[in-house]
Amino acid sequence: MSIKKTDIAYISSLSKLKIEDIEIDNFTRQISDILEMIQQLEKVDTDGIEPMAHPLNMKQRLRMDEVTEENQRDLYQENAVEVEQGFYKVPKVID
Amino acid sequence: MERYTLKNLAAMLLSKDISSQEILEMYMQRISDYDKSLNCYITLNKDDAFEKSIQADRLIESGNTLSLTGIPYAGKDIFCTQGIKTTCGSKMLENFIPPYDATVISNLSNQGAILMGKTNMDEFAMGSSNETSYFGPAHNPWDLARSPGGSSGGSAVAVAAGLAPISLGTDTGGSIRQPAAFTGITGLKPSYGRCSRYGMVAFASSLDQAGILALTAEDAAILLESLAGFDPLDSTSVETDVPKYSQSLDASIEGKTVGIPKEFFDEGLDSESEKVFFNAIKIYESLGVQFQDISLPHLSLSVPTYYVVAPAECSSNLARYDGIRYGYRHDETDDLDNFYLTNRQIGFGAEVKRRIITGTYVLSTGYYDAYYLKAQKVRQLISEDFKQAFKSVDAIMGPTTQTPAFKIGEKIDDPVTMYMNDIYTISANLAGLPAISHPCGFVQSLPFGLQIIAPHFAEGELLNLTHLFQQKTDWHQKQPPDLKKV
Repeated sequence: MSIKKTDIAYISSLSKLKIEDIEIDNFTRQISDILEMIQQLEKVDTDGIEPMAHPLNMKQRLRMDEVTEENQRDLYQENAVEVEQGFYKVPKVID
Repeated sequence: MERYTLKNLAAMLLSKDISSQEILEMYMQRISDYDKSLNCYITLNKDDAFEKSIQADRLIESGNTLSLTGIPYAGKDIFCTQGIKTTCGSKMLENFIPPYDATVISNLSNQGAILMGKTNMDEFAMGSSNETSYFGPAHNPWDLARSPGGSSGGSAVAVAAGLAPISLGTDTGGSIRQPAAFTGITGLKPSYGRCSRYGMVAFASSLDQAGILALTAEDAAILLESLAGFDPLDSTSVETDVPKYSQSLDASIEGKTVGIPKEFFDEGLDSESEKVFFNAIKIYESLGVQFQDISLPHLSLSVPTYYVVAPAECSSNLARYDGIRYGYRHDETDDLDNFYLTNRQIGFGAEVKRRIITGTYVLSTGYYDAYYLKAQKVRQLISEDFKQAFKSVDAIMGPTTQTPAFKIGEKIDDPVTMYMNDIYTISANLAGLPAISHPCGFVQSLPFGLQIIAPHFAEGELLNLTHLFQQKTDWHQKQPPDLKKV
C-alpha cells in the first residue's frame, strides 16, 4: 500500500495540520511504510468477531445530571493567550 | 553513589536518622550535579517541595504520619499538576499550567508524598526512545549515548541514576516497561482501569494507564496501594478494592504455573538475550514455579493492531489543541483556518503529526471498516488468546524487549523499526492486562528486562513473583557507572 503526496496533503488539511513542503516527502514515505505494516491485518479471518472498543468490555457509567462544579472561568482562562471580558479571542471570522 | 529505596527512606524517616528536608536536599544536589548530562527532568518543583518537606518533618516529629509522609517522588510530565507547568514533552504545552491535579497526583499527596519535579518524555507519550521530546532526549545512565527508552524515559532515568527514589510513568504500548528494562529497574503497568486517568494528558484513551518505575517490586507495591483506586472522575476507572499489595509479597509461589509463549522467540531476539532470559527462568524454577509452553497465536498482529487503534484515538484526542483556550498560539495569523493550521504546525513535532495523519486516515470515510473496525476485531482475538492462556497458567513470562538499549539516533528516522520495539509489550495494553518488567541480567553490559503479564487486576501476582525473584538475585541492585558531574 502506498499513499500519495496529495493524499497526505488532503488528510493533513482534514487534521488541521499544515505540512511544509520539505516534510511532505518524508511523511509520505514513512506513512506508506506504516500502512504497509498495518496491511497484515487484511489477511486475518475476523468473521463473526465482535470489535473490541474497551479492554474490559465495560458499559459507560452514568451519573445524575447535576451541577457538581462551580464556574471557575477566570482560573481556566489564565492559560489562554488572549481573552477579553471573559471571552476567548480568535482571528476575525466575519467581516 | 548510593540509591535509596522508598522503603529505606521511610524507615530512616521513622527512626529519625534523616529528615525529609535532608532527603530532598540530597536529591536536589544529585539533580544539580548530574541532570545536565541525563536531562531527565523538565521542570523542578523545588520551593514547593522544600516547604512540604518542612511540614512533613513536623508531622513526623509529632508522630502523625501517613503511608508516604516526607517521601519525594518524580512524576512524568504528562500528569496535570496544579500550579506546576505540565508540558507533555511538547512545544504545544510548553507554558501550560494546569488549574488542577491529576487524581494519581492527589492520591500520592494525600498520603504525604512530595513531588520533586516533572520528568522528560516523548512528546505526548508518542515514542519509544524519549527522542521525540521537544526538550531533547533523556540519556541512559548506563551509557549516555544510548536511549533510556520511552515514552517514560525521564522517569526511568531519574530512578536508575538515583535522582528520585521512585517515579510515576504512563504505559500505552510499553512506555513504562521498556524504559524500565533499558535502565535496569522495575516498571509496573497496572490493569486498565486500576489507576485513574483523570488529569493524565490523553494519548490513546482505551490503552493509556498510569504506573510506577521503582528500584524494587516492594517499592512498587507500597506506592500502588496509594496510587490505585476507583475515581468517579474517570469513567473507565474500575470500582474494585485495592489489595494490600505489600503484605502478599512473601507469599509462596511454589506450584504456580507460568506460560512462556513460543511467539516471543520467533524472530528478532538475539541468542545472548534469549540465554539471559532462560537463566532467569531457572531462578523462578528454583522457587518452585512450573513452566509450560503456550501459544498466543495472534501476537505478531499486536503491533499493526496497535498502530491503527492508537493513532486513531490520538487523532481524536489531539483535536482539542487549537491554541485558543490553552497551548501554543501563533500571533501572526489573521485568518481562523490558518490560525489553527499554524498553531498545530508549530506546536506539534514530527512523530505527533505522523500519528495524527495516520489516525485521521484510518478513520476516514472508505477506510474506517478496512482499518479501524478490522483492528478492533483483531484486538478482540489478541485479548481472547490471553483469556485462553490464563485458563491453564497463572501468569505469562517473556523478555520485555528484543534487545537492550539502542543508541540515540539509531532508529528515529524509521518509524516502523521504532514501533517494532514494543512488540512484546503492546499486547498487554490491547488486552488491558497488568504487566511488570524487572531486571534479569545483562546483555552486552547493558541491563535486560523480563516481563510478566497476569490476568486483569492480578497486580499482586506480578509483585509477588518479582519480589521473590529479587530476594534471590541482585540484578535490581546493579547500579549504572558513576557519572561525571557537569
